[in-house]
Amino acid sequence: MTNVRLRVQRFDPLTDVKPRMVDYEIPKREGMTVLDALLYARDYLDHSIALRFSCRQASCGSCGMKINGRPRLACYTQVDELGGEKVVAQPMDNFAIIKDLVTDLESFFSKHRGIKPYVIRSDSHETDHPSGEYLMKPEELEKILQFTYCIKCGLCTSSCPTVGTDSFFPGPQALAQSYRYLTDERDEGGKKRLEALDTAHGVWRCHFAGSCSSVCPKGVDPALGIQLLKRHVLGGKAPRTEGAVVWKPEAASVQAQK
Amino acid sequence: MRESRLMLVQYVTAVLAVVLVSIHLIMQGVLYPYTTAISFSNILSIYRNGLYATFLEALLVVTLVHGFDGVRIILHEWRQTAPWSRWVDIGTILAIVISVGYGTRTVILAVFGGVAA
Repeated sequence: MTNVRLRVQRFDPLTDVKPRMVDYEIPKREGMTVLDALLYARDYLDHSIALRFSCRQASCGSCGMKINGRPRLACYTQVDELGGEKVVAQPMDNFAIIKDLVTDLESFFSKHRGIKPYVIRSDSHETDHPSGEYLMKPEELEKILQFTYCIKCGLCTSSCPTVGTDSFFPGPQALAQSYRYLTDERDEGGKKRLEALDTAHGVWRCHFAGSCSSVCPKGVDPALGIQLLKRHVLGGKAPRTEGAVVWKPEAASVQAQK
Repeated sequence: MRESRLMLVQYVTAVLAVVLVSIHLIMQGVLYPYTTAISFSNILSIYRNGLYATFLEALLVVTLVHGFDGVRIILHEWRQTAPWSRWVDIGTILAIVISVGYGTRTVILAVFGGVAA
């Protein structure tokens, strides 16, 4: 059995002045993920390593970190695919470090909340107490589908150069989700959403580096969403499919009866 | 002004700048040999051609608006405080107005004979 050298960035803001790198020798097995290696190190070599994880199957987005210099999910990255016998795990860039590999995602989720990530209807009573089912055509769903795959892991935001320099910039995740809701045929909150995006620190500060799309573990293309959002903002209205928004409680009840 | 309008101006001036600067370079490097193009008498004769003077004025406005707006964007990303943003916007407007005003003054003086050949 061969070993892999796992190099982990350690930093506790309460006690340390600056981060330090600590090496651990991990017995490698076939199919071992970086998360497996980190958990081995934590369980058998150093209980004080701090990391965040949950589902272990690239669904929750908790274990985002910088692995060998690139933002990745630890549970979705096999040691073998990195090539070589050394794995370097560091916390994600563009986020404050809570401890070791655990970063503070408060600003990330705050920006996500800021774009109102839910369908807004002009009839608030209907929003709170829907009387039926909002139906969408497959082609309408197709426009937003890839953006609904976002698991909010923060990798895109970690890789974004603008987020690194502009603390007010919403970031690729929030902007792509803005586009997702703006183009949702059921949504009527267009103007409210655009006001927050069309500012000096809004959607226009994206310079299309494209790193967000290249690191997304779910195949979402936030850079595309942001460019479409720019077009949307310039056009002043959503490129909706004519007559596609359907609110048919009667149709839904008919379907249910069948 | 909304940021989208400013960015629209930025995109339009970018396209215009490519066209106008290309024409300018062709005229400087191809139609007129470079060494004669920058001689004082030639410059004055060019300025006194109404069409070319208009072209130069357009080149002046387009490149300055595009350039200073680009600097504004960089400065907005550099720091993110409300006073800074306000002064950057004011400074950008002043820089454009002063630069365009001074350049236009040169064009007008040359066209209407304020400078001796």
